[in-house]
Amino acid sequence: MNTSLLIICYSLISLFFLSAGLFSFIILRRLTIQYRNIRFARKYKKIELDILNLVTFPHQELSSEIARRHQSHPKVLTKVLFDYIERIEGEGRDQLKKIFDYSIKIKCLKAIYSRRLVKRLQATHLFVVFSDPSETVHIMQLLNDKPLVRLVAVQALSRIQSPHAIAYIFQAFERDSIPNARTYINIMFTLRNKIEHHVQAYLKKPLSLEKLGMLIELVGAIPLRSLYEDIILLAQHADKEIRTKVARALGKMHISDAYDVLAQLSQDDSWIVRAQAVKSLGKLQDPRALDILTDALFSPFWHVRYNTGHSLAFMGLPGIKRLMAVAQQKKDLYASEMAVMVMDEIYYSGERDWIRL
Amino acid sequence: MTTVLYIFSSIIMVYFFLLNSFYLFFIILSMFGLNRYKQINTFINYKDIFMMPLVKPISIIAPVYNEEKNAVESIKSLLSLEYPQYEVIVVNDGSTDQTLKKLIKAFDMKKTKWVFRKSVETKPVKSIYKSVTNPKLIVVDKLNGKKADAMNAGLNVSHYPLFCAIDGDSVLEKDALLKMVRPFLEEPEKTVAAGGIIRLSNGTKVKDGQITKINVPRNWLARFQILEYLRAFLGGRLGLSMLRSMLIVSGAFGLFRKDIVLKCGAYRAETIGEDMDLVVRMKKYLHEHKIPFRVGYIPDPICWTEAPETLRSLSNQRIRWHRGLIECLMHCKKMLFNPRYGITGLFAMPFYFIFEMIGPLIEVAGYTAFVTLVILGELNRTFALLFFLFAVVFGILLSILSVLLGEYSARKYPRLSNVFIITLFSLLENLAYRQFISIIRTKAFVDVMRGKQEWGIMDKKGFSVAKQQS
Repeated sequence: MNTSLLIICYSLISLFFLSAGLFSFIILRRLTIQYRNIRFARKYKKIELDILNLVTFPHQELSSEIARRHQSHPKVLTKVLFDYIERIEGEGRDQLKKIFDYSIKIKCLKAIYSRRLVKRLQATHLFVVFSDPSETVHIMQLLNDKPLVRLVAVQALSRIQSPHAIAYIFQAFERDSIPNARTYINIMFTLRNKIEHHVQAYLKKPLSLEKLGMLIELVGAIPLRSLYEDIILLAQHADKEIRTKVARALGKMHISDAYDVLAQLSQDDSWIVRAQAVKSLGKLQDPRALDILTDALFSPFWHVRYNTGHSLAFMGLPGIKRLMAVAQQKKDLYASEMAVMVMDEIYYSGERDWIRL
Repeated sequence: MTTVLYIFSSIIMVYFFLLNSFYLFFIILSMFGLNRYKQINTFINYKDIFMMPLVKPISIIAPVYNEEKNAVESIKSLLSLEYPQYEVIVVNDGSTDQTLKKLIKAFDMKKTKWVFRKSVETKPVKSIYKSVTNPKLIVVDKLNGKKADAMNAGLNVSHYPLFCAIDGDSVLEKDALLKMVRPFLEEPEKTVAAGGIIRLSNGTKVKDGQITKINVPRNWLARFQILEYLRAFLGGRLGLSMLRSMLIVSGAFGLFRKDIVLKCGAYRAETIGEDMDLVVRMKKYLHEHKIPFRVGYIPDPICWTEAPETLRSLSNQRIRWHRGLIECLMHCKKMLFNPRYGITGLFAMPFYFIFEMIGPLIEVAGYTAFVTLVILGELNRTFALLFFLFAVVFGILLSILSVLLGEYSARKYPRLSNVFIITLFSLLENLAYRQFISIIRTKAFVDVMRGKQEWGIMDKKGFSVAKQQS
């Protein structure tokens, strides 16, 4: 047999053995995983029993005893704690937190400073549920990490809610770049009314337009009604984006006094501001807005007409009547089409009785 | 003559060696990538994404054309997705079968007088339907204009800042959107698109719009395609995405930022490979405007789609895909080897050009040269040996490794008999199937030169619906 044929035969035989090897590897891998899962489940059950016992009869010494007993199986212990901590409230939860503190916390704190992204990420995930004010400083450092870690760090911070953490977040918001600032807004949102004074102070600071805009949006999103006066001061801002955000925030704040400001914004030079102002006017459900909204339905801008149509529908029967009138007129077919579409939408969302009226 | 043949054979050898080496490199990269992804996902609770205030709502756009067998099940799967706020826009692209009637009946659709802003020009929209029972569902009925045109019609009607392009015959995992939106949360400014892994639904069972049982199909062609999909999505694309060189976010399931897509002129209606064309043009636009960007890739099996099971359908599909690839690369040829477009111009485009686009031509030329030399009795033993080692043995090795990739993926084949069948087919793939695919892909060049625009007929079997358990 010549060398070429020999090489071909050898390579085919090697491929055959490789496939057989791969198949055996897959079988072995599956068996190993199955075995590991069984062991994991067995250990899980044991720890689960101990933890249920502890939750039923909370005891300081028992929690440290459980932590000591099972700390040689950190993965299983973490999984059990992770599964139970969200389901249990009160003293039982504190006991679980203690087990975490005794057995896993130090490893997690070390892992936060690890060079390996995966380790940092896994540790940060744990701090989302086992958060404690004392870890604020460590977690704040992760806000300069890769986006993947930053997102989880944000979640962890939002669970801490200490005054110290809040002050930290606002300082970081002022200092950091725009993509990071969005992350801080996520945290601030979850802190709700606790951030009121900070927002008020920062609205007066010389922030960049993007950051100022984000804060205004935040006021509307929570909503922080006590900051109404601070927000309406910005309705005259030179930047149209800021005026748009003011209009949006006012709509979300549901303060009837905002009518005049919104009516003024509905006549703004920019159609973007007008589109947002008519939307917010609808949310106020003030009958005084009916004429402004009916006029806005004849706007040459699609977005203004679209938002106006929905605002009129939102105002109930008087708004629907206006929509019907606009739908029947033939002078402006664009306005008529929009009115018909909005009424159609109401019909399909189950409010068909209004149409009959 | 002998010298010419010698030079030609050497080029073929180098080509096969480089092609398979690149794929081997991608598979090795993917192994690390998959492992890392698994570790990163430890302790992740996707429900947390629900709680985030800045999660953007999504418009799902599903164009359908003669999908009467699959459309209802697919749309059921879309309506049962877990996501805080989304809408489903089904675009009936002038179907000639019962697709529209079935949708109207299944979801209680009623004609509306919808008014929308025409951001992109499309073929005329005949009517827009809204579901009485499910307010999230909108059906746009329009004249036939191919998939890209249908996607543009969906974009015009959509409300939300992110849109998800999906095939009308695909089934999504319940948490698919939550997983896909993650890159947009991690880097909201930079992420412009995200894609995921597509797996084949042939042989699986579907119940209430969800995959309930995974199995290897009986059809041989579908079995070969399983390997291809494993290699392409878990090997090639994951590897390319790790090198920031992915040029395709599959049209079967991809998530995009609407503002950027509209700035690029949305889908090019005349193109047949609309998915790749869009991503390449987006990258071109972003590079030209020096906007930092990222195209995310989620190595989780999140979308299941049906593969053709007849030679005719498979040929039509592959010719169409290859025509799309040729059209797209030719449309953006300015980017080739152009440092202005960063890694896209210097690596991704040349890679797709040399190995994906003209690859089938070189392969077919190689096989033809081999057969010619055998007939002429001029076959050089060294050439024959090297050709066999680089083209067949190396190819089989890659196929075998893709089986391993499948084993590492999240929803692997549960039964060992399934793995055995796939391993067996990985040995067979390079002995006839690969050559067949190369030959039919070559036909795409002829179609492009003739200016052929047809989509090609696809025979669909439909999903196997799992029986109701008592």
